[in-house]
Amino acid sequence: MSAALTHTGATAHADDDAPPPPRRRRLRRRARLLVGLSVILSFYLVALCADFLAPYDYRAQSRGEPGAPPSPIHFRDAGGNWHARPFVYARRLTDPLARTYAEDAMRAYPLALFPRGYPYRLFGLVPTSRHLFGVQAESQPTSQQGAAASATESAPRVYLLGTDASGRDRLSRLLRATRFSLLVGPLGTLLAAALGVLVGCVAGYAGRTADAVLMRAADAMMALPELLLILAARAAFPLQLGPAQAAVLLVAIFTAIGWAEMARVTRGLVLALRQREFVLAAVGLGLSQSRILFRHILPNAARPLVVQVSLLLPAFLLAETALSYLGVGVQEPEASWGNMLIDANDTTRLAAQPFVLLTPALAIFVFVLGVRLVSDGLRRAD
Amino acid sequence: MLKLIVTRLLQGVVVLLVVSALTFWLLAAAGGDVLTSLSADPMISRTALAELRRVYGLDDPLAVRYLRWLADLARGRLGYSFYFHTPVLTIIVPRLLRTLVLAALALGMAWGVALTLGALAARRPRSWLDRLCGAVVLLTASLPRIVLALAALALAARTNLFTVGGGAGGDLAGARNPLSVLVPAFVLAVPLVALFLAQTREGLGAALNEDFVRVARAKGLPERTVVLRHALRAALNPLISIFGYSFGSVVSGSIIVEVILGWPGLGQLSVAAVVNRDVALLMGVVLITATAVLAGNLLADVLLRLNDPRLRGGRPTARAVNSAA
Repeated sequence: MSAALTHTGATAHADDDAPPPPRRRRLRRRARLLVGLSVILSFYLVALCADFLAPYDYRAQSRGEPGAPPSPIHFRDAGGNWHARPFVYARRLTDPLARTYAEDAMRAYPLALFPRGYPYRLFGLVPTSRHLFGVQAESQPTSQQGAAASATESAPRVYLLGTDASGRDRLSRLLRATRFSLLVGPLGTLLAAALGVLVGCVAGYAGRTADAVLMRAADAMMALPELLLILAARAAFPLQLGPAQAAVLLVAIFTAIGWAEMARVTRGLVLALRQREFVLAAVGLGLSQSRILFRHILPNAARPLVVQVSLLLPAFLLAETALSYLGVGVQEPEASWGNMLIDANDTTRLAAQPFVLLTPALAIFVFVLGVRLVSDGLRRAD
Repeated sequence: MLKLIVTRLLQGVVVLLVVSALTFWLLAAAGGDVLTSLSADPMISRTALAELRRVYGLDDPLAVRYLRWLADLARGRLGYSFYFHTPVLTIIVPRLLRTLVLAALALGMAWGVALTLGALAARRPRSWLDRLCGAVVLLTASLPRIVLALAALALAARTNLFTVGGGAGGDLAGARNPLSVLVPAFVLAVPLVALFLAQTREGLGAALNEDFVRVARAKGLPERTVVLRHALRAALNPLISIFGYSFGSVVSGSIIVEVILGWPGLGQLSVAAVVNRDVALLMGVVLITATAVLAGNLLADVLLRLNDPRLRGGRPTARAVNSAA
């Protein structure tokens, strides 16, 4: 029953007839799979704990600090004394046009682990207001003057990745964005895969007319490039949408568009498998069609189907990013990797702090790399 | 061969009709047209708007509007873009040329790298070159165009190596710095390298293990001839299929590359059409793009038959390798 499928299209591999690979190579392949899986899992873990890891609310604006570079973290104060605990200074906008900031070295504000911040529910359950890090509420004067001058001022905020044009913490937004970006693309992929497998099974199993109609429909779907099709479908709906509506719409569009390729692969696998002895045996035993399809054929098609899903996933993840970047995906104040990248359109700032502005791009790269490692490992494993 | 081309052309026309009708219907279902934004203007009365709609024929039933669009198309016109205030055709043609330049350069680069590196790696399996080849496939497959394009933008903003918006506004000759054209083409090419290189390496590797290659070597042919004339020819079929399939990928990818790197081509135009609800323009872009993709598939099928006599027997085509994304 568990016949290895080596000759079914998606998994066909050049050295089928080669002797089994030596142990070292097998280990390397398995390592790829594991590294890829752990990258993906850690991204989802970050998405789950985004509120805890983020020091501030992703929507909270600090009007006095638009487009600020990352806060400098100090260990040595103005008086030349070293501190074991890192601290930040308050910053003041000195030139609103050039967005330059000056630090006020009068008071040092030490960073703290697990300070209190905005309230949220950890894992959606436990109400708390502790965050991983932040600025300690009490400050230490670095001089007598400082003690007198700004004892009443509230603590500044620490921005590891700077702020965006509205003065929102980019790190908090980046963490929050994992939720939207890791939900919409993958969910769309899964639904598209489910629909595609269903259509493919019907086409491959139900026979001529259904097969012809469904496959021609799939051909028509695949005649247009993916992103253009998604854009055209997106154009059919209002451009301004709330985050929840945008998420539902994007998932629906991805499902409506992604099934075609999945259906074609599934159909090919079903057609190949229904000629195999174990399926013929099941037919001979008089099992019902649905039982044969779901218990005998599909489990044997699982591996190539999973590979196909892992090839589809980056496409939709990137489609969401592209749409949000173009302003027709999820819109502000909700955060997604795509709409965070809009900040990079400010070329003066991009020239000054390229790595800070491109952190969402880095996140995309690492995640896609993880997915590729998994699909690579799956395609070649054992 | 002629029969194949005629059949495929007819099929292509049907697919184009379906695709255009579907797009037309989708855009109509959106509700709202170019004049919707005018309705917010208190200076324009409702009756004036209704009159405008009547003049432009926007109040006719959907089928009538679609048929009118088709009739226009038959006369070689693509309608009028309300956003650019110009006939769609006059906007699209120069943009299409720019995108074609970009696409041709990208395809050339990607094939060049893929064939060279793939052939070198296939000749020495498990050498450092082969490992490098594997690493290049993995890296190029996971470097999305949006990431690369933004990195290129950052590079352009930081250094003065090249300008973004190569020859923007003017014609291509306006781009004095060749890098301004080559960088967007490079960004467009990178994900294609993964696609082409993996297939080249795998196909050539398999072909080099075949008996006819051993025979060619035994005859004392130079290695160059063995690889290029014997093995490559046998490994060419899936490569041709991918070549046809890659047209769609290039067009899809050019959207984001053109927007970020300011290349005034078809991709940029399609985004403008969507954002500004310019139905005629979007229809034009969709039509041209779908034609390009279908033409790519047809070209691949013809090339397949030229390369492989076994396929010429009038049997249905060995469908393009479509799983490689």
